[in-house]
Amino acid sequence: MVEAVPTGVRAAAVIFMLLVLAFVLGPLVVVAGVSFTAGDYVTFPPEGLSLRWYRAVLSADVYTHSAITSLRLAALVTLAATVIGTGVAVALHRRRIPGTGFLSALVLSPLVLPTIVFALGLLMLWSSVVGRTSFYSLWLGHTVIAVPYVIRTTLAVLATSDPFLEEAARTMGAGPWRTLFHVTLPQCLPGIAAGGFFAFNISFDEAILSLFLRSPDIMTLPIQIYTQLEFSPDPSIAAASALMIALTIFLIVAIDRLLGIQRVAA
Amino acid sequence: MASHREDWAIAAPGLLLLLLAFLVPVGSILALGVRTEGGEFTPAYVIRFLTEPYYLGISWRTIKLSVVITLVCALVGFPFAYIMARVGPRLRLWLVILITLPLMTSVVVRTFGWMVLLGRGGLVPDIMRSLGLVRRNYTLMHTEVAIVVGMVQILFPFMVLSILGVILRMDPRLEEAARVMGCTFLQSVRRVVLPVATPGIVAGSLLVFTLSASYFITPSLLGGARLPVLAGSIYETATRTQDWPFAAAQSLILFTAVLLLLFPYIRLTRKAGG
Repeated sequence: MVEAVPTGVRAAAVIFMLLVLAFVLGPLVVVAGVSFTAGDYVTFPPEGLSLRWYRAVLSADVYTHSAITSLRLAALVTLAATVIGTGVAVALHRRRIPGTGFLSALVLSPLVLPTIVFALGLLMLWSSVVGRTSFYSLWLGHTVIAVPYVIRTTLAVLATSDPFLEEAARTMGAGPWRTLFHVTLPQCLPGIAAGGFFAFNISFDEAILSLFLRSPDIMTLPIQIYTQLEFSPDPSIAAASALMIALTIFLIVAIDRLLGIQRVAA
Repeated sequence: MASHREDWAIAAPGLLLLLLAFLVPVGSILALGVRTEGGEFTPAYVIRFLTEPYYLGISWRTIKLSVVITLVCALVGFPFAYIMARVGPRLRLWLVILITLPLMTSVVVRTFGWMVLLGRGGLVPDIMRSLGLVRRNYTLMHTEVAIVVGMVQILFPFMVLSILGVILRMDPRLEEAARVMGCTFLQSVRRVVLPVATPGIVAGSLLVFTLSASYFITPSLLGGARLPVLAGSIYETATRTQDWPFAAAQSLILFTAVLLLLFPYIRLTRKAGG
């Protein structure tokens, strides 16, 4: 019997994994660390421990207003993206409309095509058709890039669903719409919910579209942070960022509980 | 066809959204790049981008950085994905969560972390100074190294997940057979696992390359104004100088390059998935 993996290789592998994880997670740990500093400057390791910068963020209008804008936007994007995305996913899964393969490549294309080109195009089109950019232009833009995530998670669930349930419902006399609402959609629920969390996360964190489509009265949290970063970073940015990281962790755990992160990530 | 009307009905909002709010804006910006004000075809803006030394420099930097970022991701991503495939499912799940966490975090937050780590007085220059590598007040900010470091962190999970998928589908008995036949461990990785994983590495590389060429927030914050990349230049042209046709022409170039790389990517992932 040969030795499965030599001990030396095994040890090197453990060190390698730890180093890579430190690299990948380092910046997030640093941001969280800076947010607890008692000092006046952005330093890591932090100088002393305090929650003063959290108090500063939670009482600063620029942050609370932009956070509320971002939360409202993300909630509306989630609503629109789940409704729209689920419909597309169910139709694609059934493969009864012609050109399904082409259509699915098409609806997933916002995932891989450069967002910056889309952002510029949407800004131009919006300016010429509607006029000034507003909350609604952001809603539209974010929904477009969030829909593919809902489609993917819903398709992942449908792929393992029982195809005969729909047929059974139809033979038992249920109409197409009743079948959809009472048989198909309940099966998709974990996928729709996971897609919804993705959509929320995408919109809440999104910065490229928001940079192009922002208007003076619409400031999202990432744009607020971006503007601060260009001028004078102080630890309040770290506190705001740490809160965003906490929300992201919550959303990832939620997605994992609903669907298993591996099924949607790979 | 009539019996499938409800399929069209439920897909229609999404397809309309995609057509009107994605394809039409993208199409019109691409068209703007090759049109005169009168609406006739002109390659003038594209030619300007491809001939002015300043913009050639931007293209060259974009390509160079994307190549380096892709190589680093592949070199680190293959062993990482291989180890992930060989650990237990629980640990693998944790690793997936840990490497996707930065991906799901806002780009401004991640970049801020790197600004703290790489800037003057940051942890990384401090360590380099104590090793005697650099002088006091050294900063890695506004260097190409900073851009590569920041981008690799973001794009690494795409590479790992794309390789992991391929390795997990591989029959583990292939490796056992190689070992029994006398291969050492590293030989079996190189001669058996690596060839199997190659489609995943290539697909991951194409994806990482296209994504790194189209990001601009990380490069502009970590690289600064003196190290512009193509996507950053599009943003600057559109917002600072407001030269829309020229910004559109640059978008057209970026878009064409990305599309050319995506076709082999789609073919590869189709094959691997089917």
